[in-house]
Amino acid sequence: MPVALKQAGWWRALYGLVIGAAFGYGLVVALRAASGLPLIQTEQTGYPQLVVALITGPLGFLWGIGCFDYWLRWIAGGPTVPDDHADHGAKNWKDYFKVNTDHKVIGIQYMVLTFFFFLVGGLAAMGVRAELAQPGTQIVDPNTYNGLFSTHAAFMIFVFIIPMFAGIANYVLPLMIGAPDMAFPRLNALSFWLLPCAGALLMASYFAPGGTFDAGWTGYAPLSTGAPIGQSFFNLAVQFAGASSIATAINFLVTIVTMRAPGMNFWRMPLLVWANLSTSLLVVAATPFIAGVQFMVLFDRVLNTNFFEAAMGGDVISYQHIFWFYSHPAVYIMMLPGFGIISEVISTHARKPVFGYRLMALALIGIVVLSYSVWAHHMFVSGMSSWLRVPMMITTLLIAVPTGIKIFSWLGTLFKGKIHLQSTAMLFSLGFIFTFVIGGISGVMLGMVPLDIHVSDTYFVVAHIHFVLFGGSVFTIFAGLYHWFPKITGRMYDERLGRVHFWMTLAGMLGTFIPMHWIGLEGMPRRVADYSAEFAAWNLEITIASAILGLAQLVFVYNVVVSWKYGPKASANPWRANTIEWLVSSPPPVFNFDEIPRVVGGPYEFGVPGARHAILAGDDKATVEQPKPATVGSVGSST
Amino acid sequence: MESASVTLGHATGDHHHGPPEANKSSKVDQTTLGLLIFLVTEAMLFGAFFASYFFLRVVVNDGPWPPEPYELPVIVAGVNTAILVSSSFSIHWALEGIRRGNRKAATLAMAVTWLLGATFLFIQLNEYIHVGFSARDGAFGSIFYGLTGLHGAHVIVGLILLTIVNVRLWRGHFGPKAEDHRGLELPGIYWHFVDVMWVIVFVTVYIL
Ligand code: HEM
Ligand SMILES: [Cu+2]
Repeated sequence: MPVALKQAGWWRALYGLVIGAAFGYGLVVALRAASGLPLIQTEQTGYPQLVVALITGPLGFLWGIGCFDYWLRWIAGGPTVPDDHADHGAKNWKDYFKVNTDHKVIGIQYMVLTFFFFLVGGLAAMGVRAELAQPGTQIVDPNTYNGLFSTHAAFMIFVFIIPMFAGIANYVLPLMIGAPDMAFPRLNALSFWLLPCAGALLMASYFAPGGTFDAGWTGYAPLSTGAPIGQSFFNLAVQFAGASSIATAINFLVTIVTMRAPGMNFWRMPLLVWANLSTSLLVVAATPFIAGVQFMVLFDRVLNTNFFEAAMGGDVISYQHIFWFYSHPAVYIMMLPGFGIISEVISTHARKPVFGYRLMALALIGIVVLSYSVWAHHMFVSGMSSWLRVPMMITTLLIAVPTGIKIFSWLGTLFKGKIHLQSTAMLFSLGFIFTFVIGGISGVMLGMVPLDIHVSDTYFVVAHIHFVLFGGSVFTIFAGLYHWFPKITGRMYDERLGRVHFWMTLAGMLGTFIPMHWIGLEGMPRRVADYSAEFAAWNLEITIASAILGLAQLVFVYNVVVSWKYGPKASANPWRANTIEWLVSSPPPVFNFDEIPRVVGGPYEFGVPGARHAILAGDDKATVEQPKPATVGSVGSST
Repeated sequence: MESASVTLGHATGDHHHGPPEANKSSKVDQTTLGLLIFLVTEAMLFGAFFASYFFLRVVVNDGPWPPEPYELPVIVAGVNTAILVSSSFSIHWALEGIRRGNRKAATLAMAVTWLLGATFLFIQLNEYIHVGFSARDGAFGSIFYGLTGLHGAHVIVGLILLTIVNVRLWRGHFGPKAEDHRGLELPGIYWHFVDVMWVIVFVTVYIL
């Protein structure tokens, strides 16, 4: 065997990709030959040889890069090399391009890669806005336009927001609970490497015959079952991204349940940990639904089954039911980790304990439970059974209650706090509260059947989703990235540039998405390349504001790159936060801790004299006074 | 700054070559817990197809189900169900065997389990060939093959796992202690799941 094939790495990954794809292609051709069919099938919904190659190719890539080496050796009964931890930590930038089982390295890999996808998705959005600057079609034809908004959303949702949160939590969550790593480090690495596969499929779809997928991120049947082959790229990309998030969720759940530091009972877990616990519960139980429904679409397309073929007894609306049974919980998958980040940032930078800590945790669980009962609020005008409308309206309005609890708790935390307004992380958190409240209110409006019927498929919905996803998820992502930047890189970022980034983003965001409410109420439809001239003025304004929004992100990129390289060195705990990740150096040592820390109190006891959340072993100088007696019997106050 | 001194004290601690032992905050075994959560995911994947089944059969279908002229071989499938269910007992027997140090019983029971599973798959494939309709014959055909095919894929995965377990038994792996036979117990849990899922598929598709 050539050397390149023995050593896991990019050469072998390339071999794997080519061999895997050729194998899949050949397999289909051979099977077709055996059944006497024409060898190559190029109906636009078919291309079975290509579709199978798109599955086996990435699998070959994953093998080549080295994701499966350990398991394959184990299955083959070969001697499993005792872990020498050589793959822990990254010594230079090249190590980030290898399979690594260190949760900190994986976290950085996640964050950088998903941010790259954010920029790609952002470019698509700029294309959309350029076309919409004036009525009529100037820059792209309607089909290309459909492809642009579809890829925009697919990138943002499936390979940016969801995995970005997974990346942030990957980095900080094991540190926060005092664990040396995740429960399944090799599975963790696989989760990450599935993502470039998903992203590459989305990008490759642009080169597919007939163009990229253009049925929206929702991919409704029968639009998707009859679309050109690009749609199959979308179906498969969703599977890869979904497998990645399921594996990560299992990892988080097991890590949180089995690897908490001594003394950290559930009521002492930081809210970020609670948030990821809830998110993971959503992921493991909901994501299989989108996997299932995308399989059905793929079967309808490639195997000519009739799941959604009305003429053959199929049910078109069942697509929407199954899809939204995942995708409503998915909007909380995209929001709950952000809630966790905000709780950390606000209490730290306002120097106040989180107001109503237990209620905050319970509200998360409440959202998890309720979010399985509201899916049909996306389907009020779909032609589904009309008796479903009112129950779904009631549950939708109910889910605003736990969400409201969280908002009021943050406000309570801020109340009379020492708010650090010069901190960019804090600015993004405050901005988040402001914009998310607006998004929540438009959500409640949309939850009411009569109003929803009026504004369905208009820019009002676009305004809502961007207030919750940009003003919500993306703002919390930035808050988190700024907050943990010193911990992750060991350097301080430039707060001044950070503030420029924040204010430009906020201004661009409001300028872009507020007017969408108005033109939506007046009836401008979403997902159409052209619009009536009466909306021209607002659309031009929106396009200009969106350009500011786009440029603002370049400030962020500049700030991160320069600060990472030249920023002043960060101390272990620049924000004087309480949670465990701030007890270790910045960046943390390769194995996080020499000895597992002991948790002696709640995570947010700011301003309580002598209160500590956790102490590191060997730290006998620390006098441990507990304001409240520990609830866990085994944790004494003497060392 | 207090925290800085904490970190200093920490840095001068003695050297370890590897991560510290993680604290065990729960008694459950990590891999077992991971598998159980994964099975929730699996159950929901079946759930998606059951949901589709519900829509196709109950919501949009009028007329008989299965549509004329198709018929489902309930008897054959019933016998097949019995075969698969009995394999759940035999795999439990294997587990009990290894727990009590009776390697012979374990090896035999595991081989029986494998054979029962393979028989099930064989009969299932045979049924596909003779059932008289394909996945393209209406939504009925699609969801029939969708549900039973999804289950069949799980049987294949299960058989691969059982093959590994069998080989390891022949090689003398596994022992009576819990941590020494996880490699047998976990595929067993998966296999039980595949069985239970089949009973639900069978009752839904063939009986109801
Ligand atoms: C107070 C909580 C919320 C309520 C009551 C609510 C309600 C709704 C309703 C009724 C719709 C359907 C509009 C239509 O298509 O006619 C909708 C759409 C949507 N919501 Fe929310 N929402 C809430 C929060 C969120 C959050 C937190 C997110 C994500 C972070 C989110 C993301 C979305 C998305 C992406 C869509 C559009 C889906 C599409 O493309 O059609 N929502 N929301
Ligand atoms: Cu929803």
